[in-house]
Amino acid sequence: MAVLSLDGLSKRYGARLAVDRVSFEVREREVFGLLGPNGSGKSTILRLVTGYLRPSAGTARVAGIDVVLNGTLARRRIGYVPESAPLYGHMRVSEFLAFMGRMRGLKDQNLARAIDGAVERLGLGSVREAIIERLSHGYRQRVSVAQAVLHAPELLVLDEPSNGLDPRQIIELRGLLRQLAQNCAVLVTSHILAEIERTADRVAILLDGKLLTVEEIRQEATAAPPASRLEALFLDLTQAKAIA
Amino acid sequence: MSLPTLTAKEVHALFTSPIAYAVIAVFIVLSGYNFTVTLFLAKQATLVHIFFQAAIQLILLVPLITMRQFAEERRSGTLELLLTAPLREIEIVAAKFIASMVVVAAMTSLTLIYALLLAIYGQPDWGPIYSGYLGVLLLGAALVSIGLMISALTANQIVAAVVSLGLFGILWAIDTLAALLPQPFENWLLGLSLLAHFTPFAVGAMYVSDFGFFLTVVLLGLFLTVRALARG
Repeated sequence: MAVLSLDGLSKRYGARLAVDRVSFEVREREVFGLLGPNGSGKSTILRLVTGYLRPSAGTARVAGIDVVLNGTLARRRIGYVPESAPLYGHMRVSEFLAFMGRMRGLKDQNLARAIDGAVERLGLGSVREAIIERLSHGYRQRVSVAQAVLHAPELLVLDEPSNGLDPRQIIELRGLLRQLAQNCAVLVTSHILAEIERTADRVAILLDGKLLTVEEIRQEATAAPPASRLEALFLDLTQAKAIA
Repeated sequence: MSLPTLTAKEVHALFTSPIAYAVIAVFIVLSGYNFTVTLFLAKQATLVHIFFQAAIQLILLVPLITMRQFAEERRSGTLELLLTAPLREIEIVAAKFIASMVVVAAMTSLTLIYALLLAIYGQPDWGPIYSGYLGVLLLGAALVSIGLMISALTANQIVAAVVSLGLFGILWAIDTLAALLPQPFENWLLGLSLLAHFTPFAVGAMYVSDFGFFLTVVLLGLFLTVRALARG
């Protein structure tokens, strides 16, 4: 069953079409990657899905709920990690998680349990009472993921989550995304081929706001080394399109 | 209901930054100086001059309270967190309005000490004092709502503060321009003047029309703030 379905989703800024009739589905318990060069429309699609922006045309549904017509209801089912992990730097980690949990309707024991669970899953125990602005980028990224999974969303959306992380943190993030996908669908963007290839079950490749293709990764990995195959496909598609 | 949680967060954010304390301190020191000097010179048990000074100080200080409310959230990216949470824009705006009014009410309430002193050492007319405080709070609410709207339009706090200050100044003194215009434009501009609507409160004459004016400005400011946040 599709947790997220986009149907002809478009976003126009004046004369420029940032997202052009994009349609795809994200299934339960899969990691779905959005891949494309900078400016290809990846982040715009995520912002349309999360309700931060309104589409110019088309629809986005989360668990069957239209994100425009029933925005508040749809957003209850989404966890979102924006690019560069914006957080309230003056708050302590526990305080921030409590605030975000309450924003999503959690309270009392449910909130305490959700915070304990997120802190444990994200390995935030040692910094639980730390002031956020004093944390390293890696920990800040984990806090950002923790706030997004507090309410057990059906769809977890991450925008370039590996940006600014060191190689070790990137490897940890990969494992984390696979682990999170056991409980929800994960939609993740990147412009780094290897990251998507090693994390996603399926990938959509975008260029100039248009969806070029949706490819299975893991099933075909047995036939060809995923890195070289996907890289070749990506370069082939985007280069051909750019020349045309 | 997320409003109490959001409001608590906004009040906490305002009072963990030095801005709120600096604004309150400047407000109370300047009004205290004016109260003392005027009391010894005029020897009258009145706060009318304090209310007019409070109004000018609000025009100068409210931009410092409202400038960061949305501009900073936009600059740091946390506005995206709020707008993608299951909240309505009106809740976000209302929380910031209430938090800003807590600061305005805190600094205004500190001047109650002057009313107390007048009560101890004189026999003040309480009518103008009640209406004066109501006028100061209504003016503060109007300025906060306009300041929030401007803050919602930019990611730069300084721009938000400067534009708010300019707009407040124009709205305060627009009646001086009105005198240069023919009818009916003169009356139209007079109708927009903050000073013209504040003066009756400060001198103890309350009119429903002045109350309605400030209420309209507050609601219009909040409505436009919500529109400025609308998902583009």
